[in-house]
Amino acid sequence: MDKKVLKLLPKLLIPAVIFALLIFPSCPAGTPEISSYTIADSTGDWGYPSPYAHYSRGPGYIRMSFIFETLVWKDASGFIPQLAEEWEYVAEENAYIFKLRDDVTWHDGEKFSAEDVVFTIEYVKNHPNPFVTLIGPSGVRETIAIDGYTVKLYLEQPYAPFLNGVAGTLPIIPKHIWEGVDDPKSLTGPEAVIGTGPYTLADYSKEHGTYLYKAYGDYYLGKPFVDEIKFVKISEEMIPAALKGGSVSAGDIPPEVVSEMEQAGLTVITAPVAWNAKLTINHRKEPMSSKQFRQALAYAIDREALVQITQRGYGIAGSPGMVPPTSDWYNPDTPQYEYDRAKTRGLLEGLGYELEDSYFTKDGEELELELIAEASFKEVGQFIKQRLEEAGIKVDFRTMEAKTVDAKVEAWDFDLSIYGHGSLYEPSILKRVIMDEGFNSTRYTSNEKLSQLLQAQLSEMDAEKRKELVFQIQEIYADDLPALTLYYPKWYWAHDGNVNLFYTKDGLASGIPIPLNRLSFVKEQK
Amino acid sequence: MHIDLKKEIKESGPGKIGIIILLLMIAVALLAPVLARYDPYQQSTASLLSPSWNHWLGTNHVGQDVWSRLVFGARTSLLVGFGVGILSTLLGTIFGVSAALVGGLYEKVVMRIVDAFIVIPMVIIVILISAYIRPSILTLILLLSLLSWQGGARIMRAQALSLKERGHVAAARSFGAHHFYIAWRHIVPDLGPILLVDFIYSVRRAVFMEAGLAFLGITDPTVVSWGMMMRDALSFSYLNVWQWWLVPTGVALSLTIIGLTFVGHAAEPVIEPRLRGAEVA
Amino acid sequence: MFSKGNIVTYVIAFLFILALNFFLPRMMPGDPLMAIYGDEALIAMTPELKAELVERFALDQPLWQQLGAYFGALFQGELGHSYYYNAPVLPVILGRLPWTLLLVGSSLVLSTVLGITLGIESGWRRGSKTDRSMLAGLMGLNGFPDFFLGMLLLIAFGVTWGIFPLAGALTPYSGLSGLALLLDILRHLFLPVAALTLAHLAGGYLLTRNTMITVLKEPYMLTAKAKGLSQRVLKYRHAGRNSMLPVVTQTGIWMGRVVTGALFVELVFAYPGVGYLTYEALLARDYPIIQGVFLMVAVSVLVINFLIDLSYPKLDPRVSYAY
Repeated sequence: MDKKVLKLLPKLLIPAVIFALLIFPSCPAGTPEISSYTIADSTGDWGYPSPYAHYSRGPGYIRMSFIFETLVWKDASGFIPQLAEEWEYVAEENAYIFKLRDDVTWHDGEKFSAEDVVFTIEYVKNHPNPFVTLIGPSGVRETIAIDGYTVKLYLEQPYAPFLNGVAGTLPIIPKHIWEGVDDPKSLTGPEAVIGTGPYTLADYSKEHGTYLYKAYGDYYLGKPFVDEIKFVKISEEMIPAALKGGSVSAGDIPPEVVSEMEQAGLTVITAPVAWNAKLTINHRKEPMSSKQFRQALAYAIDREALVQITQRGYGIAGSPGMVPPTSDWYNPDTPQYEYDRAKTRGLLEGLGYELEDSYFTKDGEELELELIAEASFKEVGQFIKQRLEEAGIKVDFRTMEAKTVDAKVEAWDFDLSIYGHGSLYEPSILKRVIMDEGFNSTRYTSNEKLSQLLQAQLSEMDAEKRKELVFQIQEIYADDLPALTLYYPKWYWAHDGNVNLFYTKDGLASGIPIPLNRLSFVKEQK
Repeated sequence: MHIDLKKEIKESGPGKIGIIILLLMIAVALLAPVLARYDPYQQSTASLLSPSWNHWLGTNHVGQDVWSRLVFGARTSLLVGFGVGILSTLLGTIFGVSAALVGGLYEKVVMRIVDAFIVIPMVIIVILISAYIRPSILTLILLLSLLSWQGGARIMRAQALSLKERGHVAAARSFGAHHFYIAWRHIVPDLGPILLVDFIYSVRRAVFMEAGLAFLGITDPTVVSWGMMMRDALSFSYLNVWQWWLVPTGVALSLTIIGLTFVGHAAEPVIEPRLRGAEVA
Repeated sequence: MFSKGNIVTYVIAFLFILALNFFLPRMMPGDPLMAIYGDEALIAMTPELKAELVERFALDQPLWQQLGAYFGALFQGELGHSYYYNAPVLPVILGRLPWTLLLVGSSLVLSTVLGITLGIESGWRRGSKTDRSMLAGLMGLNGFPDFFLGMLLLIAFGVTWGIFPLAGALTPYSGLSGLALLLDILRHLFLPVAALTLAHLAGGYLLTRNTMITVLKEPYMLTAKAKGLSQRVLKYRHAGRNSMLPVVTQTGIWMGRVVTGALFVELVFAYPGVGYLTYEALLARDYPIIQGVFLMVAVSVLVINFLIDLSYPKLDPRVSYAY
C-alpha cells in the first residue's frame, strides 16, 4: 500500500508545482509610479505612430501626437504656443505669420527651423495627410520662410477654422528625413518616428496592440516628469477591474461604474459633448419631402426619454439645431420640438392624413415608413419605432450591415436611417454634414439662405460675426429639419490622479474628445 | 429493420431526461406569450435591475424584462432548430435516396458534391456569408439547411443502398416499379429511425449555430435570441448583472442542446446495434 | 489504391470557397470598392489609391476578367489590402497566427488525449456506474457552447476571484523573460485552453467509447484475454490502439470546429489570435481581413482532411475505398 502511494507522489508533485506557479502571479501588479504610466485601450492597435502610418481616427492621431508637434497647440482653456511662440493673422493679405522657437531639436539631434515648416506644408500638399488637407478651402497657397525662425503662410481663402484644424493639427515633419521620400507609406522604420515632441517611441506591437514611449531628455520644455508611457490593450468590460486592481493608470470606463471608481479613489472626468446620433430623413421622397412632415416626426420622438432608456440616462437629448447645448456656439433659441403627440397629429392632419384605428392613413393607404440602421443602433431604432407607432406612424425597423445601410442612403433608397458622427466642437462640420455630397451628409441644398450661411461661416474670420452666422444656421436648420439629432452620449475616463488628465478645449487638435494631451505628461500639475 | 425507437429511448436513462428537457423547452416556446410577464420588446427606464417580484430575472440594459426575453428566446432557438432540422433532413433524404436508386452519373455527381461540403468547415462559411448578408430568421434557416443536409445524405444513401437489395424491394423492381414508387413505398418507411437521429443532430447543430451567430452579432437583432442576450450581457460583465442575465440564458441554451444530445445518443443504437446494451437503466 | 475521386472532392470544395470569397462582396448593393473597403476607407483614400485598387482588381471590367484578376492576385500570395490596418492582409494574419496555433494546438492535443483516455476507460467499464456517470457528465458538458464556458470561467476565475488574468496573451512591457515570461504566457493561456478543451472533450470521448465497445466484442480481444495479458495492456495496447483510428480520421473535421471554437473563445478572452482578429474585422467591416482569414482557415482544414484521408489506409490496412 505504502509503495503505491510513494510511487504516485512524484507523479503528482510536478503538476502540482506547475499549477501553483500558474495560480500565484509571478509579480504583483502593484501601483504605478510616475516612472511609468499605463493607459488602457480596448482597441489596442491604432497603427504605427508616424503621420502617414497611423489609422485615420482620433486615437491613432493621439499616439502620433506624443512624438510629433504642431505649430500651435491647445490646453484646457484654449490655444497655447507650441513650435510657434507667437502668431498673427494679417487680414489684408489673408496670411498667418508664425514666429517659431529657436531651441527645438529633433529626436536625432538636428535643429528644428523654419525650413522644416515650409517643407512640411509643401510635402503635405503633394502627399495628403489623413487628418489635414492643405488644398482646397483649407488650403495654403504659398509658404515663405521670412528668416530662420519665421514663416508666413498665405491661405487660399479666408478659412475660419485654420488655426484649429490646420495650424493646430498638422504634425511638422523633419525635412532632413522626409525630403526625397516619394511614397510616405514606404517609411516604416525608426526614422519615421523622429519628431520634436516630448516622447520617443521605444516599442510598438501590432498584434498585441501595445505602445511604449520614453521621455525625450532634450525636450525644449524640460524632460517630461513621466518617464515612460505604456498603452495596453484591455477589453472595455475589463478596464474597470484593471483600474481598480491598479495594473492600469487610466482608461475609458462605462458610465455605470463611475461611482464605483470614485469610491475606489480614482478620479473620473467627463468629456464635453463631441458626438451625436441622428435620424437621417430622406427629404427627396414623399411624404418626407414636406417640412411639416419632418417636424411631425420630431414632435413624436421624445428625445429625453430616449436618453433615459437607450443610454440609461448617460447623455443629453439632441438639439434639432445639431450644435449641442454645452457648446459655446449653441443658440438657446433653437426650436426644440418638445415631445407632443398632439402637434404630430395636427401637422399630419394638415397634410391630409387621417387617424384610423390607431394609424394614419391617406387616400386609403396606411402611413408606413422603413427605418434602417446598423446593428449597434438596435436599441435606439427599437425606441423610435415604438414612439412613432404610438403616435400613429407605422415603422418597419430593420438592421443591416453597415455598408449596406451606407449604400442605400447614398442611393436615396431609404425612408429613415440612423447615423452618428463626431467633430461637433467646430462649426465647420456643419457644412460638411448638411450640404456636402456623400451618405454621411444630409445633402440638403433646397434652402438657399441656409446654404449661403453655411458657406459664409467657413470664411468668416471674425469670431463674433461667425457666431452670429452659426446661430442663424441653427434656427433655419432646426426649422427645415432634414435630419434630427437624437442624442449626445456622455463619455467618461477614470485615472489614478498621478497625472492631471484633462479634456482639451474644443477637443485635441481638430476636435478629438480624448483626455490624452501630451502637456499633462510634461509638467506636473496638481 | 423495425427497431422500436421509442423503446430504445425509454430504456435509456439519459434518453428519458433528454425527452423531458426537450418537451419542457417546446412547452416554454409554445407558451411564451403566457409565461412572459412583459412584452419582450418593451423598453423602459428601469434598466439593469436585480431580480425582484416584478422582474423575476431582473432587467437588461434598456429596461426589458429578462425573463420574458428568455422565454421568447426559446421560440427563436427552437424555430431555427426545427426548421433547419426538417429542411435539412428532407434534402438529405431526397438526395441520398435518389442517388442510391438512380445510380450512375447522377449518383457520382451528387456524392462528390456531398463529400465536398462535408469537408468544408460549415461554421466558417456561415459566418462569412452572414457577415455580408445579415440574415433574417427565414434566410438563416435556409442558409443553415443548405449547408448541413450533406451529412444526412451520405447516411441515407448508404442505408438505401442496402435496403435496395432486400427481398420486397427487388420484387418491386422486377415488377417494373420506378424509382419514386420504390423510394416512397419501400425505402423511406424503413429509414424512419435513422431519419429521426439525423433530424435530431441537425436540430442540435442549428440551435448551436444560431446562438453562436447571434453571439457574434451578425444575425437579426430585432429578434429575441439567447445568443444575442448573452452577447449583450457580456458587455456588462463588470457589473454583477451576469448572475441573472447571462447565466440563466446560457443554461437554457445549454440545456436545450444537452436534451437534444441525450435523445440523439439514446437513439443511436438504432443505427449501430452493437452499441445496444451499453447503458441499461 | 488512392482513388482519383477524392482529389476531385477536394478540388470542388476548394473552388467553392474561392467562388464564395469572390462573389460575396460583388453581390452587395453599391459600388464593389465600397463593399470591399467601406466608407471610412473610401473617405480617407486618395484618388490614386482608389484608381490603383480598381485597376488591380479589375473592378470596372466585366465579371470574368475580374475573376481572372482575383485568381492572379491569389497565386501571387496576395490576399488583398486591409485599409483599416493600412497593410496587406497576409502579414497581418500571419502576425496573429502563432497565438491561435498555440491555443488551438494545445486544446486539440489536450482534448483528444483526454477524450481518448476517458473514452477507453469508459468503454472498458461499459454499463458500470463510472461509465454511466462519465457518459452523462461529458454529454452534459458537451451541451455548453464554448463561448458560454469561456464566459463562466472568465467571470469566475478572472473577474470574481482574480486568480487568472482578464485578457490578452501576456502582460505587456512587463520586462519578464525566460521562465517568468513562460509562466506569464501560460497563465494567460490557461483559461482559454480550459474553455476550448472542455467544450470539445466529448467528441473524442464518445467516439472512442463507441469504438471501444465494438472492439471489445471482437474475437482477438478474447484471445488476448485468454493469453493472460494484464488489464492495462489489454486496454491500451490492444483495444485502445484500435479504438483510436476513428478519432484520428475525425480530427480533420474537428479541427474545423475547434478553430471556429477558437474564434469565440479568443473574443471572450481578448486573446490576440486570428479568431479575435476576425471578430475585430467583423466589427470594423474590414472585409479583406475576413476573407483572408476564411480562405486560410478553410484551405488549411481542407488540406489537413486531405492528408488524413491519404494516411488512413496506412493506419488501417483493412480499409479500402468502396465506392
